[in-house]
Amino acid sequence: MFNADFFAQTSWLIPCYPLFGALLSIFWSPAFIRRSGPRPAGYLNLLTTVIALVHSSIAFMAVWQQPTQFLSLSWLQVADLNLTLPLELSSLTLGASVVITVLNLLVQIYTVGYLEMDWGWGRIYSLLALFEAGLTALVLCDSLFFSYILLEILTLGTYLIVGFWFNQSLVVTGARDAFLTKRVGDLILLMGVLALYPLTGTWNFSELADWSQAVLSGTQSVSPLTLSLIGVALVAGPISKCAQFPLHLWLDEAMEGPLPTTILRNSVVVATGAWVLVKLQPVIALSPVASGLALTIGSISAVGGALIAAAQIDAKRVLSYLTSTYMGLIFIAVGTGQTQAALLLVLTHAIASTLLIMSTGSIMLNVVVQDLTQMGGLWSRRPITGLCFLVAIAGLIGLPPFGGFWPLMAMLEGLLQSGQWGLIGIVLLANGAASFALVRMFGLMFMGDRTAFTARAPETLWLVVLPTAVMAGIVLHVPLMVRNFSLYPVDSSLSWTLGWTLFLSSAVGIAASSAFYVLERIENPTKLIPAMANRLLAYDFYTPKVYQVTAIALVDKLSLLTDWLDRYVVDGLVNFVGLSSLLSGEALKYINTGKLQLYALTIASFVVVICLYLSWGYLAL
Amino acid sequence: MLSLLIWLPILGALLLAFLPIKLSATNARNAALAVSGASLLWTVVLFTRFDLGTASFQMREFIAWLPLLGLDYDLALDGLSLMMVALNSLLTWIAICSSSTTIERPRFFYSLMLFVSGGVAGAFLAQNLLLFFFLFEIELVPLYFLISVWGGEKREYAATKFLLYTALAGAFIFAGFVGTVWLGGTLDFSYEQALQSEIPLPTQIVLLGILLVGFGIKIPLIPFHTWLPDTYVSASPPVAIMLGGVLAKLGTYGIFRFGLGLFPEAWSALGPFLAVWAAASVLYGAVTAIAQKDIKRMVAYSSIGHMGYVMLGGAAFTELSVVGAISQMVSHGLILALLFHLVGVVETKVGTRQLDQLNGLLNPLRGLPLISALLVLSGMASAGIPGLVGFITEFLVFQGSYSVYPIATLFCVVGTGLTAVYFVILINRTCFGRLDNETAYYDKVTNGERVPAFVLAAIVLTLGLQPSWLVLWSESTSARLIAAVPITQTAASLQLETSRDSVNDGAHL
Repeated sequence: MFNADFFAQTSWLIPCYPLFGALLSIFWSPAFIRRSGPRPAGYLNLLTTVIALVHSSIAFMAVWQQPTQFLSLSWLQVADLNLTLPLELSSLTLGASVVITVLNLLVQIYTVGYLEMDWGWGRIYSLLALFEAGLTALVLCDSLFFSYILLEILTLGTYLIVGFWFNQSLVVTGARDAFLTKRVGDLILLMGVLALYPLTGTWNFSELADWSQAVLSGTQSVSPLTLSLIGVALVAGPISKCAQFPLHLWLDEAMEGPLPTTILRNSVVVATGAWVLVKLQPVIALSPVASGLALTIGSISAVGGALIAAAQIDAKRVLSYLTSTYMGLIFIAVGTGQTQAALLLVLTHAIASTLLIMSTGSIMLNVVVQDLTQMGGLWSRRPITGLCFLVAIAGLIGLPPFGGFWPLMAMLEGLLQSGQWGLIGIVLLANGAASFALVRMFGLMFMGDRTAFTARAPETLWLVVLPTAVMAGIVLHVPLMVRNFSLYPVDSSLSWTLGWTLFLSSAVGIAASSAFYVLERIENPTKLIPAMANRLLAYDFYTPKVYQVTAIALVDKLSLLTDWLDRYVVDGLVNFVGLSSLLSGEALKYINTGKLQLYALTIASFVVVICLYLSWGYLAL
Repeated sequence: MLSLLIWLPILGALLLAFLPIKLSATNARNAALAVSGASLLWTVVLFTRFDLGTASFQMREFIAWLPLLGLDYDLALDGLSLMMVALNSLLTWIAICSSSTTIERPRFFYSLMLFVSGGVAGAFLAQNLLLFFFLFEIELVPLYFLISVWGGEKREYAATKFLLYTALAGAFIFAGFVGTVWLGGTLDFSYEQALQSEIPLPTQIVLLGILLVGFGIKIPLIPFHTWLPDTYVSASPPVAIMLGGVLAKLGTYGIFRFGLGLFPEAWSALGPFLAVWAAASVLYGAVTAIAQKDIKRMVAYSSIGHMGYVMLGGAAFTELSVVGAISQMVSHGLILALLFHLVGVVETKVGTRQLDQLNGLLNPLRGLPLISALLVLSGMASAGIPGLVGFITEFLVFQGSYSVYPIATLFCVVGTGLTAVYFVILINRTCFGRLDNETAYYDKVTNGERVPAFVLAAIVLTLGLQPSWLVLWSESTSARLIAAVPITQTAASLQLETSRDSVNDGAHL
């Protein structure tokens, strides 16, 4: 029939299909839309996504349970720098690209429905395809350098895709903040990339792991300070990518972009940082400072994000802070060296949060508001979406036997073995708070009395509902995937105590939240906590204000200062020396006399005469 | 072979200026395009004839001119010159292409542009210090006119400032050259002889210092830069393209050829100081650009920052950083030309360059969507987003200089972050936002305005994806420049040696 291995060897084509689609979509610029309408751009990209999905699935089957293969493509060789693009073909990388293409396909179908009336299809689809290409390339590539390049390109992609509706002022600031925050992380990562090469001589992840082994075993000696600085730089990039405190604000503002892009951003694009972090884990583990940083940032984000999410009234904000929570848990996993658990959490979070945002978006599409307090009573109107939302909650939090339970179990078991009780507490607390926040959101949206907004809100277009329902099916199958692909030993050796504890933390969160918001036994539950704490959480620890008075103010004032210096001191000095009178144009007013050519001719002829005079001796010879 | 690059534009300039026939503005423009197109084609021929294996100068042309003064007509080409000549030929064509079809005194304008182009080509090819100086100075005359006649507001002030600064730069350079020749005991000003002169290190440092000030004004590096914003802003877009894209490169070229090339020992001695100077320029240019309200002025300040990367690459003086710096000169020229062209189009159509007046140009119906999209592309290229040529050249500089001057390099990385800040400000205010329908009655963008932008954007993108086409030309030249000094093998360079081996091992996997 056909040779499946051929598809594995040509895996580098997987990112090329969507990229090709993205490039072709550019032709659906305003001039062309007048003739064909914007839709062909969308269909074209759906086609390339299907091709990429088929290719990666076949390649995945070909490499399943085969040893990891490497391909390398030469890119640039200059002086003593040799940049080849190494690709890793393994069930992990190809499996990840299958997940990415599946999610992309569903999101692109969802977009057909969600942006039905929009004229900007060419742009949105080319950017979605750019993300697909970037993400598949990122998972396939085995080099820190090329990962950095892809992350930077995706930073630009984030800027453009968040700025999709660029004539709204909140969108413009959201795009700006997303771009600059991610860029800060990228550049610190770049510093790490630059610093790593002279020490290791390679940027390939697999060789970096070998190098870390050599450092550990003492065959390579590097000063602890250098290792710490590099480790911190390498952690800093993912901090901004994964929307971790204190660089988390952009994710919330980026929600101003079209919702379909949010689905991908909050599920897989933020996970790019986690992916790179997992790949770099051996290097980060060399420095206690870097691991400590990852743990601290992860813990603050996990607990803080979940608590803030529980205090938001904006549906999109709940989702964005929960993303920070789960990414924080991944940081904890990487900081304690549990890369398997981290990757499993990347997978389950990506799938479950895709469904979560899809179903939320499906509600917001015709409820019009995103203020949770204005919603309610949707259960009878939107049963499919309601069920999907419940499935998403089950798939995200630690609720056996659904997907989200297993990575958390894996993490807890690892933490138990190393006796890190504090972190166990943090994971349980984050899980409980996340459960609370999600069930609260469910209660506010679907339970209670109908409001003016939700009174007439039937299920939306099938193009939105169908991908959501399919996604719910996928979420329900995650436990099977975990077992069948042996991602985690589901059957044996499970610590029952730990399992029960994790379940209990979710159950407490769900029960408390149900009591407040689903069953509505208690009126106005916000009164139960102090007003100050409530405000602190509702306003996101006042992070935007902190930004305003620190980094933004610093750059702003500094630029005004140098501008002033430039105008009045540096240039002022020049004028002071007496040039100003010369510069005022008095001396050269011939220009206005209209005999300009004559003037130029005079100069030119004098130059010629001088040349001739000087050359006379030579010419006479 | 090489003379053609000088004399073809100059001959064209003379014919255009003095041929006693009537020429309409369009015809004059077409004639200028034909002439500059011919030299561009000839440059392409030079690329095919260029021998990559030869590290030293090739295609030499020598005519003794004034043996008494030591001034000879002596041209030759190496990787550095080739890059600069190519940039000059391309950007001349682009600049002529981007000039308005209804320009006043078209014949005079185009002949001056061609004259500048021929003269600059000569300076890049000159193998004689005095010839270089002569061509460097003579550029001033046509540029003075180009700025003061066709410029915007405050053009006379700007032109005179430019004239005085450059004349001052010329004086320093002349002093440096004369000192080199006299103290070196050579008889004439030929570059070859100057290379062989043996001057004690302290004297070398003094001479290098003089040259650094001279070329530092031309590049410009802080604090000699205040002529730049005024001049670039007052000059019309095509002239700004020539000034920022090509003329500024005379400064960096001069520093590499005559500073680094003639005094490698003094250069490495001053290295730490130069690296700090470069980083200061990068940060100062970027931070000041953030505060600007005029987009052209913003782009002008960005240029100061970007020339700092070139200096950093030179200061680090490793093979990689020098290749990176030479490539950075080219990439800066391309991106700056694209930016100035687009800013020029925006100004022509919208009638303002002020950030607080521009808004929503990305609007697909009433705005300038294509020009805005290209503005996003060029801003991002300048901010060093990968996939575009600005990234890889900056990266090569950083990677090459990190092992030598880590702190200065990291500050320059911060500089690229600040570059992103002001370009986001520029794009957010100019392209994003709501277009005011009351005032948005803009003329259509003509194909003539699109072509230069498309050509430059295509090159920026192609070289960004396939950077080896950019770096391979200057590799052996850089190796030669580095080899000139028996550099003390630092731990860092030893480290690089081992790393090269391990990378090669990695490639065999």
